[in-house]
Amino acid sequence: MSASDRARTWALGIWSAAALLFLFIPVFLIALFSFNDNRGRFNFTWQGFTLEHWKHPFADPDLTKALENSLLIAAITTVVAVLLGTLLAVALTRYRFRGQGAAGFFVFLPMATPEVVLGASLLAMFLVMGIDTGFWTIAIAHVMFTVSYVVVTVRARLEGMDPYIEEAAQDLGAGVWTAFWKVTLPMIAPGVVAAGVLAAAISIDDYVVTSFNAGQTQTFPLYIFGSTRQGVPPEVNVLGTMLLLAVLVLMGLNLLAQKALARRDRGRAEEPPAIPAAGPSAVTG
Amino acid sequence: MGLTLSQRRRLVPWMFAIPGLLWLILFFAIPLANQAQVSLLSGDPEAGYTLTWAFDTYTHAIADYKEQFLRSFLYAGAATAIDLVIAFPLAYFMAYKAGRWRNLMLLLVVLPFFMSYVLRTVAWQLILADNGWVVERLRDVGLVSEGGRVLATGPAVVAGIAYNFLPFMVLPLYVALERIDRRFVEAATDLYASHATAFRKVTLPLAIPGIFAGSLLVFIPACGDFINAALLGTSRQYMIGNVVQSKFLNVLDYPTAAALSFILMTVILIGIVIYSRLLGTRNLTEAAT
Amino acid sequence: MPELDPERVGAELDRLLSQQRLSRRRFLGRGAAAALAAGGLGAVLSACGIDGTAARNLAQLQREADRIHHPSVELGDWTFANWPLYIDKRVIRAFDARYGGHCRYVEEINDNNDFYGKVRQQLQQGVPIGRDIVVLTDYMAARWVRFGYVTPVDRRNVPNLDNLAPNLRSVAYDPRRQFAIPYQSGAIGLGYDITQTGGELKSVRDFFDPRWKGRVTMLADPYDCATTVLLGDGVDASRASLDQVLGAIERVSEANDAGQFRRFTGNDYTTDLTKGNVALAMAYSGDLVQLQSDNPNLRFSYPEEGAMLFTDNMLMPAKVEHPYAAETMMNYLYEPEVAAVVCAWVNYISPVEGIRPLLERSDPDIASNELIFPPDDVRRKLYTYPSFSTRQEQEMNEAMAKVTGA
Repeated sequence: MSASDRARTWALGIWSAAALLFLFIPVFLIALFSFNDNRGRFNFTWQGFTLEHWKHPFADPDLTKALENSLLIAAITTVVAVLLGTLLAVALTRYRFRGQGAAGFFVFLPMATPEVVLGASLLAMFLVMGIDTGFWTIAIAHVMFTVSYVVVTVRARLEGMDPYIEEAAQDLGAGVWTAFWKVTLPMIAPGVVAAGVLAAAISIDDYVVTSFNAGQTQTFPLYIFGSTRQGVPPEVNVLGTMLLLAVLVLMGLNLLAQKALARRDRGRAEEPPAIPAAGPSAVTG
Repeated sequence: MGLTLSQRRRLVPWMFAIPGLLWLILFFAIPLANQAQVSLLSGDPEAGYTLTWAFDTYTHAIADYKEQFLRSFLYAGAATAIDLVIAFPLAYFMAYKAGRWRNLMLLLVVLPFFMSYVLRTVAWQLILADNGWVVERLRDVGLVSEGGRVLATGPAVVAGIAYNFLPFMVLPLYVALERIDRRFVEAATDLYASHATAFRKVTLPLAIPGIFAGSLLVFIPACGDFINAALLGTSRQYMIGNVVQSKFLNVLDYPTAAALSFILMTVILIGIVIYSRLLGTRNLTEAAT
Repeated sequence: MPELDPERVGAELDRLLSQQRLSRRRFLGRGAAAALAAGGLGAVLSACGIDGTAARNLAQLQREADRIHHPSVELGDWTFANWPLYIDKRVIRAFDARYGGHCRYVEEINDNNDFYGKVRQQLQQGVPIGRDIVVLTDYMAARWVRFGYVTPVDRRNVPNLDNLAPNLRSVAYDPRRQFAIPYQSGAIGLGYDITQTGGELKSVRDFFDPRWKGRVTMLADPYDCATTVLLGDGVDASRASLDQVLGAIERVSEANDAGQFRRFTGNDYTTDLTKGNVALAMAYSGDLVQLQSDNPNLRFSYPEEGAMLFTDNMLMPAKVEHPYAAETMMNYLYEPEVAAVVCAWVNYISPVEGIRPLLERSDPDIASNELIFPPDDVRRKLYTYPSFSTRQEQEMNEAMAKVTGA
């Protein structure tokens, strides 16, 4: 790498670090205040360090259940939305069919609708259909408004990719699903992963639509919004921090596993595959 | 199955599209169709409502809330621009320089969402307190006037929106950039002999789908946002989302709330059409391959 | 032709449906499916809409109240919906231990309007909402009573209601306490930082004092804000007319245009006050109890002209499924010992008399806290919310929304 390349890499790296740091400033504060020895119910003024809140973070069964619900719903939402959205994105980008243009714009509409209206109208429909609101209606609602984000993200990946590769594969005898599975999906994998991450994040943080369609089920955001009247308990900070750490730890383990696998593959194979394989770790600088 | 190859080929897009479209039709379009009817009702919650085809609800809505509409587009647009500037280098780094760390960075970008909106915004309110350390330093530097403040201003609302929607810009950008074959860029550098020109002539155009997607994923939901203005702004910063919220939950004026939503959706849709023409997304992508 | 009594028709319909083992909700659902199938999307749309109300009027409700009888039954599983962090959960467990059954305590009420938005369609259709007690603030309780979305309380099951504080025995929308049983109260007053104001603030006039220009926040809810302003003008806010309220809103609007107020808040003024962004906030007494323990410079004053008292009330929704359980809980919460436990935990103003001596022994700080036990001269000047029709409420909220920017 030339000197200017290195300088550029450094500049980009510093910018990226700064951007990530900026994103995390509130997170640090939230984590910090999980150690706050607050006397009243509000958690705004630093009064001293304590580990008290970390000792029994799961003491309130309702809060724990709320977090549990949010995680489960996020998981379900991610899987279903990624499934539906990816297929839809492929259909919209790769193929020509009647109503394609309209469908492409239709997909943007849920994002453009104010959440109040989105949530209330969906609730009205559930009531008419006689569906009890609760865990599953929340999941249904979450899938509904995350699908758009998945479609747009995957399309960003698909647009401009060689459209003829799948046709080539099909000409060579691959069926539709095989072509999709073995050719398209690996190429768009980063898009699908990113879309999934996005869907999970949106789902786990949603309030308005959830509040209409939750019935008596509690989710983490609902609990937190509700507790602001009395003061958000520091246990919420603890749980949020624990969640973050858990995800980071999982990620770290994943990285280690990848490194181990890569070392093993390097030992086995002599040459790298000619076509970039699926997965973002394959294409490095 | 008894279908010819070409028959199956024609069915494929439908097979792929139907599940997603069906879900959206069932759980979005149909409920919203009811709201269309609601927007044309007259009455109140006590006496009941009747369908009077009151189209003047729409004209009144536009006239009364012009200010909030324009402000929403302004704030959302500003936040989108800010996010693009912040996100591009970050996405570039993730796509080309991060190597096996990119998945971790992907996750880091989104991780703050797991900490709940309320907590994040309250944290910012604590950090940006009028007499707090941060704002004092900003006053020293001159970014904030003496006796001025950061919170409860227009910039605070824009910053809040930009902050909360940043991941929505980073991810599509990353996804689009990562797709670009590095060999194109290397060839271009050889050709143009300047990295900046190679970037301008090759990387940037190929990144357009990502820019398009990212800016839409930020702009569209930001237009309807209400929470940033409510917590970080004053009455002079309220957006159309606040109006819809108020009409629906406080004033119980369901027809106007529905009308406002449809107006917003229509304007946004028109904007998307214009934007996509402007960027010429389809043309560029066909040319690039 | 004999006149059809709508109540009797409704009762007959209920009996018919229960015989066919169809719940009302499923009946609507089947009807909807059939309508859809027949291409009658319009029928579905109107059924799930907001036209038509299943309201019984107030007179009917009061007649029902006089005749109401909820016989003693096994409590079984029943549901108590409340705001988060609004009870000491030991109370629920003690209740279950004493009376049997299982109380499903759900902290799902985050906001009066949000909750109403969630259940209003079921209420309109006259369908049980699956909660046996809901806790709503006065103006929302008044709305539910007005629309007939409540079931009267069988006072025979709630003898402890005799312990209700005198100033809460009657309220405009429920003069005989047949529907809304007070749960906790709070007062609206001046929350301020004494280091910033340099001295005590005591009057509603202080909100408009140019010394604090730009460093004041007001509450966004006109029921809280406009009424307090009216009290400052010497008007009895609990009997105010709509015109008087609109006039108060007008004054707030003028002051706001002149830059007097930083912003209008829900209960998120707490960060502004704590961090010194504002000198004075229109505040709830309960919040200041908490804030003071972190920062003793923060003070609360009941305005000398009088203070609005907001109350969160327990109501049984219409078509309630476990009324006896609900009433037993209401009765339980009015036992002084239990009320003392709740008060010690929640730190709001309790509606139950006679708990102060109990707290003097166990939690003397709370017993002596004026924000939880207002002194007598303050008690004499506590006012409940005025009562308005839905149309008037809409007009009031609309006027206030213009001021707050929405």
